[in-house]
Amino acid sequence: MESVLSAGFFRMWQEKVSKMSRKILIVEDDSSTSAYLAKGLAEAGYSVEACKDGRDGLFLASEGIFDLIIADRMLPGLDGLSMVSAIRAAKIATPILVLSALAAVDDRVDGLKAGADDYLCKPFSFAELSARIDALVRRSDRAVAEPQKTKLAVGDLEIDLLSRVVTRAGRAIPLGAREFNLLEFLARHAGQVVTRTMMLEKIWNYHFDPGSNVVDVHIGRLRRKIEDGFGAPILHTVRGAGYRLALESA
Amino acid sequence: MRLSVTARIALLSIALALVSNLVIVGFVWRQTSDVAIATVRRETIEKSDAMRALYRSGGMRAVVASIEGARAPGDVSLLLAVLDSKGRRMFGFSPSRPHIALVPTSFRVVDIDGNSATRDVGYALHPIGRHWLLTGRSLDLVQAEQHAIERAIMLAVVMSLLLGVGAGLVLARYVGRRLDRIAAVIEAAGQGDLSRRVSTGAGRGDAFDRLAARLNAMLGKVEGLMGELRVVTDSLAHDLRSPLARLRTKTEQAVLIADPMQRDVALNNLLVETDLVMGMLTTAIEISRSESVSRDRFSNVSPAALIEEIAELYEPVAEDAGMTFDVAIEAAPQAMMLHRELLSQAIANLIDNALKHASSGGAVMLRLCERPEEIWIQVEDRGTGIAEADRAVALKRFGRLDAARTTPGAGLGMALIEAVARLHGGQYELADNAPGLIARIVLPR
Repeated sequence: MESVLSAGFFRMWQEKVSKMSRKILIVEDDSSTSAYLAKGLAEAGYSVEACKDGRDGLFLASEGIFDLIIADRMLPGLDGLSMVSAIRAAKIATPILVLSALAAVDDRVDGLKAGADDYLCKPFSFAELSARIDALVRRSDRAVAEPQKTKLAVGDLEIDLLSRVVTRAGRAIPLGAREFNLLEFLARHAGQVVTRTMMLEKIWNYHFDPGSNVVDVHIGRLRRKIEDGFGAPILHTVRGAGYRLALESA
Repeated sequence: MRLSVTARIALLSIALALVSNLVIVGFVWRQTSDVAIATVRRETIEKSDAMRALYRSGGMRAVVASIEGARAPGDVSLLLAVLDSKGRRMFGFSPSRPHIALVPTSFRVVDIDGNSATRDVGYALHPIGRHWLLTGRSLDLVQAEQHAIERAIMLAVVMSLLLGVGAGLVLARYVGRRLDRIAAVIEAAGQGDLSRRVSTGAGRGDAFDRLAARLNAMLGKVEGLMGELRVVTDSLAHDLRSPLARLRTKTEQAVLIADPMQRDVALNNLLVETDLVMGMLTTAIEISRSESVSRDRFSNVSPAALIEEIAELYEPVAEDAGMTFDVAIEAAPQAMMLHRELLSQAIANLIDNALKHASSGGAVMLRLCERPEEIWIQVEDRGTGIAEADRAVALKRFGRLDAARTTPGAGLGMALIEAVARLHGGQYELADNAPGLIARIVLPR
């Protein structure tokens, strides 16, 4: 169903990642969820390994060969959060995304405190999951490749992080503080899909659903500022997923 | 073996009655004896001084004359005699050979005839010429009084035993009966009947009544919560049924659509419906969790900053919906321990409600103000408001007004606001904005 919905999104996704062979470890005891994840991620071009309990997960993770670990929170043997803590205690910095049916605000906080890099509640849309995986994998790439950037550029859009000035095609665009943060976040993930909940979590630090398409309204304002009067659209809506900042459309 | 509470209360009351009786009677016994001896001593010394003065002025003859007239008829306890140098009675009233040491004595209590069973006397002995003057009084009367008191003590012991048993039984029965009434109500509550209450006597207000009143209050609260829980469960089931039913219908329809594009759209609608149900479930869990959030989830947050953040999030939303949205921060209360996320969510719900219901009025105000003991966070709109009579219903969990029955999940939003307010020790109130509604979260400072 998901793949039908976001077929376009998947094509783009496959193109993007096919050139790299990323390894993802799935630690999940529910076999149908595990199979669903493995299939979706394999289609997206990742090589996937799966195990069913926390002890195996910890054992595999300690090899240090994975680019990302997706861990369920409630696992037999060693539970998900303890596994995450143990992995972090072993000084393994592999990004970890925790999946959980525990959706309350405090549960998320616990997950992130244990050392997870991201926390996603079940059930989730695959688009949401892949956007977050993409963000995590790229983040660790970027941390190695380009530390401490002071300028971001997406096509003809330039963002100076120090002076907090945004220009497009040489013209300065005045932005509010929150709009600047939003644009910076999108630019840091340029070419990737950023979901509404990712923005709510990172820009506003809210872990609940505020309803009333709040994020869409903020994006709409930002879009008017950076697109009105310029030739090409740059902030694209990805249906069923979120938004993407890129000069060319997907 | 452990005695029953009733038996222990009875025993305690017996022991207390006994001890208090013994203490009182013992005190009287002791006091009687002391007072009597002091009287005899004073009398003896006075008499002795008077007789010696008489001897000095009138000689032995005057003493003898005085002794003969000294003893009133029937007075057998007086002791007044002249003894010779060997200690034998020469004349006067005393045993013929008193059992005392022949040394000057100002006052002493002794058994004067050497027979330990009777006749303790208090006496004084002074030399007059070659003889000795013996004055004193027998303590027979005192002893008789003391014996009477001793008998009274024995009687008191027996009586206090009887009284104690009686009082103990009455007391134990009284306490037992009142406790039984309370226990019966607790027992009934334990078996699921929460409607029973302990009857309290009018205006007595004793410890049992206070206990009963507390118990009644607790049962009332429990019953209320249980009732709310039932309503919550029912409403949740009801609210979930409608979107699930829609989901089912739409799925059935989507299966039948041949055109791939249209099917795509239909499937997308299914996702929207699913997310709605998920959102409701998440909120329901959040509500039940917020009943037991521990304080370590709280952080030190400035209420004004929290309001500004949430206002910043919603301002464009309101403006895009064609409404004016204003923020009035009338106070800058100090940072306090708050659950930032839950409180933000509750305020977001308040604003969301206002935006939904106030669309005709077109103005929404988010206000933070201070009262001596409280902080008010309120959202004011200019919509149709809620009639005063309906406000209690609106506040009651899930008690949705009929007008709002069509918006799914609105009852949950209200319930979350209330739960968050209660989590912070405050409450959720509705007031009149004339026209419009003021929805207010009251937090204690």
